[in-house]
Formats: sequence, C-alpha cells, structure tokens
Amino acid sequence: MEALLFWSAATAMVVFTLLTVSSRNPVYSAIWMILSFAATAGLFVLLDAYLIAAVEVLVYAGAIMVLFLFVIMLINLRAEEHEGLRLNPLAILAAATFLALVTRALQDRGPAVGSEPNALEGSPGVVADALFSRYAVAFETVSVLLLAANLGTVVLSRRSHDR
Amino acid sequence: MISLQSWLGLSAVVFTLGLCGVMMRRNVILVLMSIEIMLNAANLALVAFNKHLVPVAGAVPPDGQVLVFFTIAVAAAEVAVALVIALLLFRRLDTVNVDDVANLRW
Repeated sequence: MEALLFWSAATAMVVFTLLTVSSRNPVYSAIWMILSFAATAGLFVLLDAYLIAAVEVLVYAGAIMVLFLFVIMLINLRAEEHEGLRLNPLAILAAATFLALVTRALQDRGPAVGSEPNALEGSPGVVADALFSRYAVAFETVSVLLLAANLGTVVLSRRSHDR
Repeated sequence: MISLQSWLGLSAVVFTLGLCGVMMRRNVILVLMSIEIMLNAANLALVAFNKHLVPVAGAVPPDGQVLVFFTIAVAAAEVAVALVIALLLFRRLDTVNVDDVANLRW
C-alpha cells in the first residue's frame, strides 16, 4: 500500500515537473507546478513530515505560486513570444552527466544515516521544539532575512520618479 | 517499506529536470520556476535523510525538517526579490528573454 502510494505520487511529481519545464505557456507551467508541489506534499506525508507537508502547500503552492502567477499576468507575453524547451545538445549532455554522477553518489551513505527508515516525528510540536531551542538564532536570522527581502522588494519596485 | 535510494533517486530526477529547465528555457520566469523545482527536490532529499537518521537517545532528531523549514523561508525571500528584478527587466528592456539581456557582455 505504502509502495503504491509512493510510486503514484512519485510518478505524478515527475510528470508534473516535466510538464512545468516544457509547457510553452507560462501560465500552464505555473499551474502544473502547483500540482507538482501538491504531489510533493503527499510525499512528505508519506515520510511522516506532517508540518513540512502543510508548509509546502501553504507557502509553496499558495504564496510563491500566486506571486509567480501575478508577475506572469503583469508581464502578459504575446502568444508568439511563447517558446518551449530549446534542446541544446550540450545542455542535455550536462544534465545526463549530472544525473549519472548523482546516481553513483547515491550508492554511498554517511555514518549517521541508517538503511532502515525510523519512526520520524513530524508533528508541529517536535519541530517547533528544535526550532525555538537549538535553532533559535537561525530562526531569528531568517526573520531578519525575510524583512530585508521585503524592504528590498519595496525599494526595487518604486518607480524612478519617486526617488 | 521504501528504501532511501528510491527517495534520493526521485529527488535526483526532479533536480535534473529543474536543471534542464534552467539550461534550456529562455523566459526568465521559467528559469526562476526551475530553480524552485531544484530547491524543492533538495527539500525532499533532506526529509528522506531525516527519516533515515540514526536515532539519538531513542528519538530521531528533526534536524532535516528544520533545515527544510529554513530552505522554504529563504526560497520565498529569493523569489520575491527575483520576481521584482524580472519585472524591472521587462519595464526597462521590454523583454523577459535572458538572451536579450546582454548589456554587461563585451
């Protein structure tokens, strides 16, 4: 049952990602990408990472993709400017080499990684415990980073005659 | 039971698709989307590794999930700034094709 769920979600993720990368119309790409993120959230649930699955749907499929769709609509490309994948032999070679190298690297594991899956605690309480104790400094740093990105966005998008 | 290799293999395939997108698309928004796909694939690998971590004092530490949490926050910040830059590019040069933006090339 678990294997069936894994393989169906994995196939969905790969197919939707492929459609995202190859669609000619950017709006279709964005919609395929939302579906691919939904499949990823399903995979996170299979890994017992429930909080991460929820954050994936809220932040990635919700916030980030809405941002993408807004900008696509603002830019509003003409249909003749749409173009799909440009199959460059060098790029294909580079991607194939990368995949081959990573597949080889997958054969080795570090000492901290066991071969058997463990019961992962993915509930918000457990993750929040780590987030607000051991990773508290990193958490605060990320909040400053988000503030900086916010301010940067506002400064960049002001029209030049306001300056 | 699904082996760690299956998870990492899936992550590698999706990452490679994102890499192909970065190298083969010319629309700057699609390039950004492909970068998001690659980040997402890395997140999947992190959570899979977390599931297979050797337990410390009877419990698996949620380090991988915390890391994914930070990755998502950084990705959100990055996308916000990058999309504004794409918008400015379109406003100034009237194009989103990365090949047309070669002002710094000599």
